[in-house]
Amino acid sequence: MSADSSKIRGTDLGFTMNRRELLIGAAGVAGAGALLAACGGDGASGPLNFGVRTVDESPTKQFKALVAAYEAKTGNTVTYNATESNAFQNNLSQYLQGTPDDAFTWMAGYRMQFFADQGLLVDLTDVWDEIGDQYNESYKIASTGLDGKQYFVPQSWYPWGLHFRKSMLADLGIDPDGINNWDDFLKMLDGMKSKGLIGFAAADKGGWEAMGTFDIINARVNGYQYHVDLLAGREKWTDPRTAKVFEYWEQLIPYMNDNVLDLEWDGAMQLLLQRKAGAMLMGSWFGGNFKEQSDADYEDLWIIPFPEIDPANGRDTIDAPIDGYCVAKNGSNNDGGKDFLKFAGDMEGVQAMLDTGVPMTSANKGQDTSSYDAFQTQQLAVMAEAKYITQFLDRDTRPDFAGPVVGPELQNWFKNPKDVNKILESLQAQWDALPPL
Amino acid sequence: MSMRDSQVVKDRAISIFIGVFAVLWVFPILWTLWSSFRPYKEIRARGTFSMPEEFGIFNYTDAISRMQLPTYLWNSFIITIPAVFLTLTFGSLIAFVVSRYSFKFNVGMLLLFTAGNLLPAQLVFIPVFKLYLNIGDLVGDRRFLYDSPWGVVLIHVAFQMGFATFVLSSYMKTIPKEISESALVDGASVLRHYWNVMLPLLRPPLASLAVLMTTWIYNDFFWALVLMSTDNKRPITSALGRLQGEFVTDYNLLAAGAIIAALPTLIVFFVLRKQFVSGLTLGSTKG
Amino acid sequence: MSSPATRPQGSRRRRAFSRGDRVTLGIFVGVPTFLHLVLVWIPAVLTILLSFTYWTGINFGDITWAGLANYDNIVTKTPAFYDALRNNIIWLVWFGFIATPAGVLLAYQIDRQIRGHKVYQSAYYLPVVLSLAVTGIIWNFMLRPDGFVNGALGRDIDDAISFFGNYNINIYVIMVMASWRHIGYIMLLYLAGLKAIDPTLREAASIDGATEWATFRKVILPAMRPVNIIVIVITIIESLRAFDMVYVIYGTSAGLPILGILVFQNIAGEGASMKGAAYAVILFVLSIGPIIAYLRQQFREDVS
Repeated sequence: MSADSSKIRGTDLGFTMNRRELLIGAAGVAGAGALLAACGGDGASGPLNFGVRTVDESPTKQFKALVAAYEAKTGNTVTYNATESNAFQNNLSQYLQGTPDDAFTWMAGYRMQFFADQGLLVDLTDVWDEIGDQYNESYKIASTGLDGKQYFVPQSWYPWGLHFRKSMLADLGIDPDGINNWDDFLKMLDGMKSKGLIGFAAADKGGWEAMGTFDIINARVNGYQYHVDLLAGREKWTDPRTAKVFEYWEQLIPYMNDNVLDLEWDGAMQLLLQRKAGAMLMGSWFGGNFKEQSDADYEDLWIIPFPEIDPANGRDTIDAPIDGYCVAKNGSNNDGGKDFLKFAGDMEGVQAMLDTGVPMTSANKGQDTSSYDAFQTQQLAVMAEAKYITQFLDRDTRPDFAGPVVGPELQNWFKNPKDVNKILESLQAQWDALPPL
Repeated sequence: MSMRDSQVVKDRAISIFIGVFAVLWVFPILWTLWSSFRPYKEIRARGTFSMPEEFGIFNYTDAISRMQLPTYLWNSFIITIPAVFLTLTFGSLIAFVVSRYSFKFNVGMLLLFTAGNLLPAQLVFIPVFKLYLNIGDLVGDRRFLYDSPWGVVLIHVAFQMGFATFVLSSYMKTIPKEISESALVDGASVLRHYWNVMLPLLRPPLASLAVLMTTWIYNDFFWALVLMSTDNKRPITSALGRLQGEFVTDYNLLAAGAIIAALPTLIVFFVLRKQFVSGLTLGSTKG
Repeated sequence: MSSPATRPQGSRRRRAFSRGDRVTLGIFVGVPTFLHLVLVWIPAVLTILLSFTYWTGINFGDITWAGLANYDNIVTKTPAFYDALRNNIIWLVWFGFIATPAGVLLAYQIDRQIRGHKVYQSAYYLPVVLSLAVTGIIWNFMLRPDGFVNGALGRDIDDAISFFGNYNINIYVIMVMASWRHIGYIMLLYLAGLKAIDPTLREAASIDGATEWATFRKVILPAMRPVNIIVIVITIIESLRAFDMVYVIYGTSAGLPILGILVFQNIAGEGASMKGAAYAVILFVLSIGPIIAYLRQQFREDVS
């Protein structure tokens, strides 16, 4: 009757990445030009299509630079196909079954494993044989499908944390390092509110943004293991521990903007950018957007881990999703796709993207972290504190549960926070009703 | 007579009332048109109702170059024209057989087609998607029907045939049977009967149907969205979705793009207004 | 061969079709019917069958029988279904009691050729020729935080009314947008039907001294019975299968759940399942009544 949850083990969904391994990978070898020669064979594998799931300015600049570098090196033509992010995700199943691009950008986690399992992705083991030593073990684990083979090449990662403007906190006389626990956090929010500002900018129009908040509060209140178990169906949504998450979350509502359900993530970012909001829980990818505005804005941007709630758990968990590339089985040029990924995953490709000046935290060991700017170094520090790394709710659980069920239910909670018990019961019932995998 | 007078007064009031609403009705379009001539930066800086300093067609030239509009308009063209042509052709064939010959299956066929026209598109989408891919595999080119304008053309034809059939068969009932009888007496084959005798008489309804169908098929959003995966093959109406995401920060530019997208149907509407009404006349009543 | 004049009424002449004729007829009927069956009816039946299975839509080998599980899931375990149903009903009520009657009355007045009727007719019909994507952009323009309405209300970006994001009013906002098109469409449909009414009916009524309103209620409305039925059917069907306009504004997020969106949300994208097929079947079943009414009306004479 219910989903055979024993099939979905914690190590299948979400990655128990050892943070030490991740840091070693990220800190890397101080770049002394120790590039691994991209032994891409003859490189002449014909024209290929590269699908990108963003139309935003900064990432587009990076990907186009990557494509240009690849074309220059191999002489292959690459057709660049950009699609807006939500549209891409909404169409992915049809896209992969039909006429996908050869290589495309995607995310690690169960979202990738699911499609690999359905036979829609190309086995990239031989690509990993060539470039695998540029990544540490935890990234390889993150790129592995349910059958033990690799289907993903990582590109970048980013932590989900509390972002704010240093200048705004300075105005309040608060030291960022001083926001360690829940009480400190509320004090900061109160300070913002007293100045007529929004304390905690929140967005959930896309249905996924608020999952980050759920993830982190759950991990803070109930611990990493409970979070992983809940997403795998081994714990229940109706458990009072899950309800406690919403109790804490509800305390933040007075400090949020009124139009949470009318803003997508960039709307919340705009609030921070325009100094209308004090803090925002988000992934750090939007650094580029701040930099587009001005260097001064970018330098004002800061991140800290979400505050501790239960000292037993401290700040030991963090969502740090990995973005990267896959090759689609139904594309017309699988070999071309693999060749492109070999380049993209190699330091040569990464360097082409870094050279655009857009801030990026690469998964590749070769990226010289001594070249990280202050914001990137702080991201690394935030990661350093965490013992456990998760991939974000919609990558850590079944896709037919995350998007269609959790998304709308969280939106329902925003509409009516008092309905929390009804919502939790509904979540559990819908989980139980999922078809067997 | 006082009844008449009061009616005249009432009528004037009604006319004014409807007139006021007519202005409100068109207003959103006019506002979008107005805004398309102004730069977004100016509106952000000086407010929505500021008097324009810069006013011109720069948004339009910008839209054409940055939004690949010619490509999308061309895509719309190569989908709409064949689809309308085939729909009218097939519709006329069935209508011809059903109204000029008495076969037992006539009523059944009309029912089949008309009901098919009313089915929700979502009800057929998955099997059609799979079918297109499998046919593509059989033929050796996955893009034979999926992600190809022909696939979209065929699904439009399949759905809209019913309406065309119904309208044309209603119309044909008004054509005297004697014309067909005399053709048959002269020994005309079925083909000659259709081509030389009936078809020339169908000009009025075909014209009206062509106008209606062109508007409907051009404006379609759903099919091109789900049966095509390459964005730059999509018709302009489905592509606007992506453009909306891409240019969300420059709404006036987007307005210009939207106006350009709407131009073909607007032109058809203003030039061929009469045909709209007569097309619907034929469709809603029995001739 | 007997001449038309001597042929007895209603006799069934045995037509001797030549071989060429038979081939022609076969093609004339066969090709369109084949296309229609293959792309409309067979997929419809398949979707109905698929709604009784578990399937992600990807590999045929994964199809497993589910019986009524998808329907049970929808009806007992998915609160969004009832939200959507509620919204579709609001849509139906609005269209049925506000938008359609407005269109009908408008058509009547325009048919009476009140002053300015030619211009009015075009003005009200104009939104109908715009695609829904363009409509979405136009109304977004009007209702944005920095758009016309908020500007006219004197609110700047910070305290702007969020028309699409405020979940208490967004259904009504969408209703206004949908009516913007629907009224013009109904108006034109009704107008076309009104033109076919015998003018002597109206003359007779006015000679009897009836007011316009009485004429409308007692003479015109009954005479328009066929068109009335069509207008009612279209109103119902359009409220049930609404999709495009809401998708353009909200995508597949839960902004405004309606049946059309629920279908799409569960069929396309990553979490695809045959729950979407079940939704589509429910939508179809709800439309069957109106569809049958429409068919009966159109084929009155033929069927009997």
